[in-house]
Amino acid sequence: MSWFSPRSSSPRKEQQGRVQTVAEPEVHRSLALAALFDDIRGRKVQVLDLGPALGSNVEFLSQFGCKLFIEDLYAALATRTPSGDGELAGPEFFAEFLAIPEETRFDVIFAWDLFNYLQRKELGHFAARLSRHCDRGARLFALISILKTMPAQPFRFKIQDEQHLIYERRTSTERPSPRYAPLEVTDIFKGFRVDRSFLLRHGIQEFLLVKD
Amino acid sequence: MVWKKNDEPPHPEPTPAAPPRPAVPTPSPAQAGGPTSSHEPPRRTDRATIGASIFIKGDLSGEEDLVIEGRVEGKVDLKQNNVTVGKNGKVKADVSGRVVTIEGEVTGNVFAREQAILRQSGAINGNIQAPRVILEDGSRFKGSIDMETPKELGGLNRERDLRPETSHLEANRAEVAGVKAGA
Repeated sequence: MSWFSPRSSSPRKEQQGRVQTVAEPEVHRSLALAALFDDIRGRKVQVLDLGPALGSNVEFLSQFGCKLFIEDLYAALATRTPSGDGELAGPEFFAEFLAIPEETRFDVIFAWDLFNYLQRKELGHFAARLSRHCDRGARLFALISILKTMPAQPFRFKIQDEQHLIYERRTSTERPSPRYAPLEVTDIFKGFRVDRSFLLRHGIQEFLLVKD
Repeated sequence: MVWKKNDEPPHPEPTPAAPPRPAVPTPSPAQAGGPTSSHEPPRRTDRATIGASIFIKGDLSGEEDLVIEGRVEGKVDLKQNNVTVGKNGKVKADVSGRVVTIEGEVTGNVFAREQAILRQSGAINGNIQAPRVILEDGSRFKGSIDMETPKELGGLNRERDLRPETSHLEANRAEVAGVKAGA
């Protein structure tokens, strides 16, 4: 099983189906998340969550009366890139696994730390696919590692409240971090601009991109 | 009125014991026809189960709770009752119920009047429409979740007005339609 899979049995431990993280979950304040929820408050929005389906996130987002789409791209990438590098995910991959009806438009996209696990070219294909489902004003929430290394598997993120995220680390092994810079991100995500960006003390830069 | 001794009612004469009657089951309060029960439908506490070896193609409807441990292809429509897809259950169909609990696999849309619950062992490839949705960690879900409040749903015909405009499951829908046509 690949390093990506949220249902992998190794190196993550599973007992009786329960997911065990390798370290205690950490709670970090999220300034971009707070800004995002301020932006969408009172609106009925369509949300795309690109992470695994987590009950706590669904329950939290339910208070906004949103329509939530869940497309676990982490799991999808696991089936495509067994070693996490080498074969790249091309446009066909994203068309297949983000099989969203053409007319669907999202107001908010949670990309979590997905950028860290996509190579630059893959990120371009990913951005092109997402752009088709975003109208002007759509917001994309992303977390990018600025440290030299990062966990070899993506975190699982749970929304604790409007200002705090729970980071669940699933492996103790590390891999190099791509450390995408803000200018690089806007270059890849053409049509989006960095509305807000926050550098956090634990080595994560939060981005809130907005579609122009 | 003044009480007089003569007015005292006579003591009832001892009567011989009534002849034994054939035993009949004692009616339950509901069967006895009390003031409330006469206007209410008999309460159904039973639930039907589709066993693990059963395979059904077609539409399912009824007025009692249903547990599916087998395979169902078609449509499950029990809007007033609870529907549970057990751990062994595999359903390729839209499922409608009051509380819909998924422990097995569902390929299709889930409509719950009160609550949809996706258990840890469960998987849904489709859309969920319910006022309250519970996803247990470890469950697998691909699709959309529309959590309309009851107020928002007031006066609407769920099936007519809230049918998802889009679905990830067009292919599956076509397959189910084909099954129904052939059933």
